Amino acid sequence: MRNVAIIGVGYTPVFVSKRIDVSIAEMANEAANAVFRNTGLTIDQIDAVVQGNMQPFECVNLPYLWASEHIGAVGKPVMRIATGGTTGMTTLMCAYYHVASGLYDVVLAVTWEKHSDGDAQVGLAGIVTPEIFTMVMHGLDLITGRGMGGTSGGSTGAAAYQALSYLHHSGADPEHIDKMAALERSNAALNPYAHLRKKTTVEDIQATPFISWPLRYGHTCPTTDGATACIVASEEKVKELTDGNVAWIIGVGSCTSDPCTANFIEGQITDPAEQESCRIAAKKAYEMAGIEDPSKEFDMAELYDGFAHQSLMYAEKLGLCKEGEAHKLLDKGAFNIDGELPINASGGVFSTNAIGTSAMNRPCECALQIMGKIEGEHKIPKKIKKALAHGWGGLFQYNSVMVLSDTPKKSS
Amino acid sequence: MERKVAIVSHVQTKHSSDIGMPRERMLFNLVKELHNKVGITRHDVDSYVLCSNDFEAGRTISTVFEDTPVGAYMKDETKVEMDGIMALIYATMRILSGQFDTALVVANSLGGSQFRPFLIMEYQLDPTFDRQVGLINELNAGAFQARSYMDKYGLDEWFLDAISARLLRNGAINPYALRSKDDATPEYVASSEYYYEPLRKLHCYPFSDGACAVLLACGEKAKELCEKPVWIKGFSNSLETCRLGERELYTSPSTKQAAEKAYKAAGISDPANEIDVAEISAKFAHQEPIICESLGLFPEGSAEDVAKNDLAEITGKMPISPSGGGICTYVFSAAGLINVAQCCQQLTGEAGDAQVPNAKIALAHGQDGFCAQHNSVVILSSEEG
Amino acid sequence: MAFQMGEETRTFPITWDVSANKYKIESRGLRILTEGMKDKKIRGIRCHECDTVYIPGPFYCRKCHIEIDEVVEVKDTGTVMSFAVDMADIRGNPLPEKRISAMIKLDDCDAWFIGTVENMDWKDAKVGMRVKSIWVDEPQGKFSDIDHFEPI
Ligand SMILES: [Zn+2]
Repeated sequence: MRNVAIIGVGYTPVFVSKRIDVSIAEMANEAANAVFRNTGLTIDQIDAVVQGNMQPFECVNLPYLWASEHIGAVGKPVMRIATGGTTGMTTLMCAYYHVASGLYDVVLAVTWEKHSDGDAQVGLAGIVTPEIFTMVMHGLDLITGRGMGGTSGGSTGAAAYQALSYLHHSGADPEHIDKMAALERSNAALNPYAHLRKKTTVEDIQATPFISWPLRYGHTCPTTDGATACIVASEEKVKELTDGNVAWIIGVGSCTSDPCTANFIEGQITDPAEQESCRIAAKKAYEMAGIEDPSKEFDMAELYDGFAHQSLMYAEKLGLCKEGEAHKLLDKGAFNIDGELPINASGGVFSTNAIGTSAMNRPCECALQIMGKIEGEHKIPKKIKKALAHGWGGLFQYNSVMVLSDTPKKSS
Repeated sequence: MERKVAIVSHVQTKHSSDIGMPRERMLFNLVKELHNKVGITRHDVDSYVLCSNDFEAGRTISTVFEDTPVGAYMKDETKVEMDGIMALIYATMRILSGQFDTALVVANSLGGSQFRPFLIMEYQLDPTFDRQVGLINELNAGAFQARSYMDKYGLDEWFLDAISARLLRNGAINPYALRSKDDATPEYVASSEYYYEPLRKLHCYPFSDGACAVLLACGEKAKELCEKPVWIKGFSNSLETCRLGERELYTSPSTKQAAEKAYKAAGISDPANEIDVAEISAKFAHQEPIICESLGLFPEGSAEDVAKNDLAEITGKMPISPSGGGICTYVFSAAGLINVAQCCQQLTGEAGDAQVPNAKIALAHGQDGFCAQHNSVVILSSEEG
Repeated sequence: MAFQMGEETRTFPITWDVSANKYKIESRGLRILTEGMKDKKIRGIRCHECDTVYIPGPFYCRKCHIEIDEVVEVKDTGTVMSFAVDMADIRGNPLPEKRISAMIKLDDCDAWFIGTVENMDWKDAKVGMRVKSIWVDEPQGKFSDIDHFEPI
């Protein structure tokens, strides 16, 4: 199998709630320009371009047809990936497979979301529009949510069931979610490309109202405008185009289970906190990467946490610690930037959520940490050799996992 | 490339303007049919690449309820949101990487009964200009393109009627086609109403419901699973600007770019002679010559000659769209993949009355965007080579 | 890098008209379920291969990938797998009354759905607690026939 590396990352100058100065396509252009500036490459050196976002959020169908020109992709092979929350990582995986297939050598991946062009809650409700209408026709009471089949609080409500199920099975307390939230928001304060950048205490989080207990307003992610670009290359091109300081993608895995929330028509049989698809995706990625004990071999992790409890939950599902131990490690400070296993040093999705980019920023942050090219004070104060990136999405059913390393795999 | 990839099997629905069942059942039935045909279960498939469109599905993340009916429960799955032929291309790359041995590609849409394709197209316009101005829609853009070709080569509308008539006759021998007429003549097509002059109703694609599934495998596995694998010899795709005013609409540079790379990979130097049959995604009659000419299958501006000399007929020198093409069926998101399936039928000798004798190399084409802004080409062969 | 908001910026309102969609929904499972509810019965569909009981019953088993059609009746008592206490609406506005909304797995079945649990303080709610359905007096074959759930 061909070795593939991330050779550069580019972000829009800011990730904020509302960019009124640029269009979607111009934002994609900003990110692409940033990655070219950071790598010294030009669009002429790119063999193919992969793009991803969640189009209903901005109401533009197949936006690659519009944005490609702004990225410089006219006349090149392009591909568009859209898989919900995992879009960022599945887009990067698509770029990875472009190179791993042996057909392309240098591939640009660009993802974006411009939430301020639309309405994120409407976009999210749009996942189950037909199901909800059908249920209302069968007597579902949307207003009071009483009786059978009701659901609560949009995506936050659905996440609350997951959060409580996780708390119950892990033995963690709701206060641990506050603590994780405060940690990540404080990390985000150090990251110039984070959206909510304010040093935050546990008390600050606890001062926010509950939306759906156990989840508070302070446990939920913002909606962000932003774009990310990333260039991947083959081993030969790494030698030719770079000084060798790159991040190798040594393991990839993705998996889907079934919709485990709002599956009103086919019946829901999966606990949203079970996340078996995460275990399967991780197993695949670890096997490929030669990771035998994930709890010991990673120097950092970037996990997809639309809600603060998910960092703790996924740390367990991904085998970074035993079931029921994530909150103990959190208490010990292991997940801090200077801890044993820094989790979401960037501030995570929880602090910056331009959905299309969210799952791509995870491996990109890992790559920047490995390359020592972090801009900002969230640089992890140790040599990063192996890093874990994770993406999550859909109706709680999609998981994708990527393992990054400072050294390539030995060719087999 | 070290590894080889082949198509093991393919199935498609009987396309219609209203398939009369939910999308999930359509997909389940389709994939079960494929399983039974090959003799496998869902556990024999390593990777799933789906293709559908959020706007057509009226659903954010169109695949959330498509994964389980196609058998992807607890499996590797991803979605390409383009024309279905791009999902096939991605699945091929995944197998070439060595990480997967088999991949199932499934594309679908209910563009006939659920959501009007013209609306899907309208949402593709640049929202900051073209959509605001409101002057462009898919039909008048198609008419611009037709006019551009006619003006460039000094042709009248007859060639449009002749192309549609040929495709409608082909549709009559394709059991999956939505629209057909076994005795269609140019005069018959010319009697249909104008949508946007010069485009008449029968020069335009019908709104179609349908789905297509194609099972891919690496070479060794493909030989295990079927007797006649169809080999993927080369592919590529390319794209033009979305600004119609900046494009020469009578030609298709992106098709040319895609074809050049695909031909190179497949070792084709003289496409018009080496390719035995082509399935072209033409949503309008005039797009067929524009794309075929850019593919190098016919000389530029030859649409009238091709029609007069029956060159594109099934029995002609260069058979184009024996399935009836986009005039008979155009399943948004799946059209290119259906073309691949049709090519496979030709290469395995299962095309029935539409069979091109001794077809060994086939070309499948797919497109997206206004006036075929994005074009993809896949070269298939019955021989491993 | 200096970041400046553009001076020449216009905002364009655009709607995504989903009402143009004519969705097709598989409704056998819903029909079986709601018809049964007229008689205060809850019915789902069992997979004959893996014994999973779904409510509402789909036409296929997602684990076994086979068609299923065996209608089974399940109890109207169940166990709370997880719950949330709704305190604000989708936009974050506080609700007048706190509401326990629970993921309830009914006895004899593998599927769960959401239902409101009443007649208890939300602070006493626990994962694993047992609940029963409280039906309306005159069921009409609708989801609202179960008014709410109560702890046993
Ligand atoms: Zn089963």
